[in-house]
Amino acid sequence: MPERRLHRAGIAIYAAQALGQAVFPLAIILGLSLVGGRGDDLLRPIIYGLIGIAGATIAGFVRWSTTTYAVDDRAIRHHTGLIRQADTDVPLTRVEALDVQQGPLQRLLRVYSVHVQTGGGGKGGEIELPALSAGAVLELRERLGAPAPAVGEQARLRLRFRSLLVAALTAGQLGVLVPVLAVGAQIAQQAFEEGEGRRAVRALPDTMGEWLLAGSVLLGAAWALSVVGAGVAFAGFTVTRDGDRLRIRRGLLSRREATIPVARVRAVRVVEGVLRRPFGLATLQMEVTGYAEEAAVARTLFPLLRTRRVRSVLERLLPELADEPGGLAPPPPRAWRRYLLVPSLGALIVGAVLAVWLASAWPLAVFVFGAVYGQARWQAAGWRLSEGRLAIRSLRLARITVLAPSSNRESHELAQSLLQRRARLADLRVDFGKKTHAHIRHLDAAEATAAFDALAA
Amino acid sequence: MSWPAAPERVDARRGDEPPSRKLAAGAKWAWRLHLAGAWIAVAVLGFAIGPIRDLGGGIVLWAVLLLLFAVAVFVPELRYRRWRWDVRPDVIDIQHGTFTVRRTLVPLERVQHVDTKRDVLEQLLDLSTVVVHTAAGSHTIPYLSDYDAIQLRDRIASLARDA
Repeated sequence: MPERRLHRAGIAIYAAQALGQAVFPLAIILGLSLVGGRGDDLLRPIIYGLIGIAGATIAGFVRWSTTTYAVDDRAIRHHTGLIRQADTDVPLTRVEALDVQQGPLQRLLRVYSVHVQTGGGGKGGEIELPALSAGAVLELRERLGAPAPAVGEQARLRLRFRSLLVAALTAGQLGVLVPVLAVGAQIAQQAFEEGEGRRAVRALPDTMGEWLLAGSVLLGAAWALSVVGAGVAFAGFTVTRDGDRLRIRRGLLSRREATIPVARVRAVRVVEGVLRRPFGLATLQMEVTGYAEEAAVARTLFPLLRTRRVRSVLERLLPELADEPGGLAPPPPRAWRRYLLVPSLGALIVGAVLAVWLASAWPLAVFVFGAVYGQARWQAAGWRLSEGRLAIRSLRLARITVLAPSSNRESHELAQSLLQRRARLADLRVDFGKKTHAHIRHLDAAEATAAFDALAA
Repeated sequence: MSWPAAPERVDARRGDEPPSRKLAAGAKWAWRLHLAGAWIAVAVLGFAIGPIRDLGGGIVLWAVLLLLFAVAVFVPELRYRRWRWDVRPDVIDIQHGTFTVRRTLVPLERVQHVDTKRDVLEQLLDLSTVVVHTAAGSHTIPYLSDYDAIQLRDRIASLARDA
């Protein structure tokens, strides 16, 4: 294949990139000249803006005209830049995937952005070709031996509109804080009313109320943002199993297509968020080596499904990691009070500090929240290690079940404190990646040790 | 530190046996200096804000000082005795902790790279820390003699290459 240039739309895309880099200083210059000119001199900011656009267009043209790529039988070569030149050679054997994406500008100009992915990891691809026509993408796919997926036989799962809506509405973990804050406000109110009526204290509820109002407005805004964000990110979410690869397509404004070699998927997480768990809903996330720096959406296998369907969905998409998230063994009954003790004590200490500070006994009641939280953690805790497959479930805010073949672990750890030793209990922790640390506390020491040895084998 | 030349001796060691190698003896002093540094910072802060000054030369102050001294003597000693590690052909084995004893196994095939590092304290005491990186995070074997640390780093690197 001779040296190729990008599609001419690349000029506009590189120009937009250059403009994007300069947008902040440009905005400052524009803003300053607007303020300085007191509005009577509108011409100057317009001229500055035009100069900026012209400069960006020239930069875009230069970048486009100096960017070439070529594929021979050994490697894909990429050259870019005039002043700061960069040459990248990726041997064909190291090419793991071609990721095809379409941002808003690319969609407008009907071109595709192609990332050549290698196993090296890190953000984005080793080579980025931001403007290729559909034909050029096809040619590149053929030359690299990564033909486009044949439609039909593969397993495919698509997020329907209703599910997208539910996924967006239940995306925020923050939502749960609203009722908690309301209850907290109620308690604080009562505490103040029953207090000694000192002037300083009487002055507080007003400011407290305002503070809470500001807090809930912030929370509401954050929740709305998370709804919109999730809606935009997961619109049109489609995951396809194609041979030894997963292809994930998603996005409303910028369409993204990612290809993930199944061999790089180390573990699956079933995440039951606070807002989703009551409805029996969960998100499936993956631990992919080299993907730790990517945003959470890039590690999503499927945004929303019924928890009881997890196994059947995994069997279609990722049979290598398919397992049942339910039916796990709890820690022994003697561990129960240990699960309750720590959060209760923590809450009690916080309550005591508040009680001294506010000169009222009411804040001590937060002890109850600690106990309830401890109980929730106790009920969530469960594990199973059978036939080389590990499942560990735990709860922080969301209830998370890690499913993985135990041979995929990066390291594992057995921990026992002096107190646990007396009760013959131990903690087990298995790390699968930067974001996936399966951790379960207070298992029977003999069972935990047996599991530790089995993991070492 | 010498590595067993015959691999069968290494293989004979069972996986469920705790590791046998220890840190350099200077580790105790490194921990003590660390503790002392933290306490001096707390003491200066406490003195500046008030609570320590209020104690004056009373019995409470002396009791606290005695307790801290005892901790500085015994905790690093205990920690040093508990700290064990070993590198077998397939796995790095680490066991440590005073109150909570942790045993960690890192398969060598998962090791991405190995570093040695020396902070100021370690340079003073002629010690080094070996840091083993995997895709899930890092594990440290601290306070080895400088020579041992470099040997260990190179050995882990070569074993990880072959794994």
